[in-house]
Amino acid sequence: MKKTKQSTRGKISKSERRENLELYIFLLPSLLLVFIFAYVPLYGLLIAFQDYAPGNPFFSLSGEVNWVGLKHFERFFNSIYFSRLFSNTLSLSLYNLIFGFPIPILFAVLLNEIKSNKFKKVIQTSSYLPYFISTVVVAGMVLSFLQTDGLFNILTEAFGGTKRKFITDPNYFSRIYVITNIWKSFGFNSILYLSAITSVDQAQYESAKIDGANRLRLMQYITLPNIKPTIAITLVMSIGAVLSSNTDLILLLYTPATYEKADVFGSYIYRIGINGGEFSYTTAITLISSILNFVLLFLGNKFAKKTFGQGLW
Amino acid sequence: MDSIKKGNRIKDESKAANMLIGIFMLAVIFITLYPLYYVFILSVSDPIEAATMKVFLYPKGLYFRAYKIILKDQNIWRSFGYTIFYVLTGTFLTIFTSTTTGYVLSSPHLRGKKWVTIFLLVPMYFSGGTIPSFLLISKLHLYNTVWALVFTSSFNIMYMIYVRSYFYSIPEEMREAAKIEGAGNFKIFRQIYLPLAMPVIAVIAIYTIVNIWNSWYNSMVYQPNTDIQPLQMYLRRVLIEQTVDLTKTGSMAEMEALARTRLSTSQLKYSMIIFTTVPVIIVYPFFQKHFVKGVMLGSVKG
Repeated sequence: MKKTKQSTRGKISKSERRENLELYIFLLPSLLLVFIFAYVPLYGLLIAFQDYAPGNPFFSLSGEVNWVGLKHFERFFNSIYFSRLFSNTLSLSLYNLIFGFPIPILFAVLLNEIKSNKFKKVIQTSSYLPYFISTVVVAGMVLSFLQTDGLFNILTEAFGGTKRKFITDPNYFSRIYVITNIWKSFGFNSILYLSAITSVDQAQYESAKIDGANRLRLMQYITLPNIKPTIAITLVMSIGAVLSSNTDLILLLYTPATYEKADVFGSYIYRIGINGGEFSYTTAITLISSILNFVLLFLGNKFAKKTFGQGLW
Repeated sequence: MDSIKKGNRIKDESKAANMLIGIFMLAVIFITLYPLYYVFILSVSDPIEAATMKVFLYPKGLYFRAYKIILKDQNIWRSFGYTIFYVLTGTFLTIFTSTTTGYVLSSPHLRGKKWVTIFLLVPMYFSGGTIPSFLLISKLHLYNTVWALVFTSSFNIMYMIYVRSYFYSIPEEMREAAKIEGAGNFKIFRQIYLPLAMPVIAVIAIYTIVNIWNSWYNSMVYQPNTDIQPLQMYLRRVLIEQTVDLTKTGSMAEMEALARTRLSTSQLKYSMIIFTTVPVIIVYPFFQKHFVKGVMLGSVKG
């Protein structure tokens, strides 16, 4: 391999040049699309340091562009929104992590205990299903069940409680968000663990059984240690994604009445940026949240390395 | 004697545990399926019963009027048509870009492979986000056109990498042998690599179809014109924003007839949820296997 590389470094043979020309023609559509739709927006982040007006170029050193330095960053840090968005994003994601992370693991471990393959199949099929139903439909169902005269209030009343305004009361938002998220994704998230469990060497179980280990012990000493690496990697990824909460779902579930608890970076950027037209200000917020995200991924990786002895890098 | 007793005890414990796990799993099935079932029985119940929302086990009365109204709604069919268009174009382009790029990246002769790989990896970690993308779409004059959605869902770098990894597993001798026979890259790609890639293409296609079918955020940002929006955006207007009153889609006479039957907007919404989710549920069993494969594909890379 290395030899051929060295020998061709000086001059490229005609056939190799032809070959590379062909290969780059193959690549051209993808490179163009990635360049335009991924790199140009990246370059567009520069408007965070300008007072951008529609029609301006993203970058120019002549008078067309109005450079304002860190004005938009200062404005954001000095507004109530920085702490509000940061704490909402963080707390929604942390609840989601604390409750949503162990459930797929527990579910996969228990599912592995089901002996009947048919029953197993039925459970898998039904638990993966919500993942494929669109977020709009799921949110529509949730909103309808939580109406003042909806299913949940009927049940609350049947058990002697009083009707509640679930949708407009900010205190319920995190619960609604987390439960909806878990309902939609726990089955799908369990697939990874389930495959890790099924690849465990069966001989380990057999020998432990001969030693008289019961099922709880088998789970504790064989199943769980075997899926630890999978758990570690998934955990780092989830910690790294803590600041990129499920904006889609939030945009569908929140109302102006619940903004104080529901508004996150993504939803605020959409509302103020696209609807309000404050392009430069919201781009500054995008930059801030990406940087925070990176820091979290870094910390999450450190944490996973310490506790599991394994991380992403 | 003792060991037999012990054996029995373990067996009894095991039986009890089996029971508990079985009950737990039944509860899981109930929780995942019941909400949809509840919406379904409400949608076909008698309007007066449905209005109370107290229909829990089976439909009370049988009433399909809501579905008839929905089937007549032009907006559903039009947005449905656009969704099909976005799904077909997006899936075709995604498969095209993933396979061609995967093929080239797996070739040992590519010069500058390192740079191409870095070029593709950077956007996986850094992105401009909503606002710069929106401004770009406006600058390209794609704003408020169908092409805004077609182009933005035309590639997925992750899938390019999946295909590359898949092609690495094909013995290089195959490519070399075909070359000696005089075949060019285009022929090798189309006649050898593409047919071999079918399993991974199926996975990519299915993920892309589901993603585009369910997506609405890009349309919300790039397409204010409701005439070209996909089905999910129409659903959003009906179910979430409640800016569309389905009872007012018919003629005067029909509306009066509706008012007499007390068919409520919520019942129409339930019918719409079922109507738009049924296609997903029908194809879901065929897709399921590929989805599990897709998770594995992702984990191998990760």
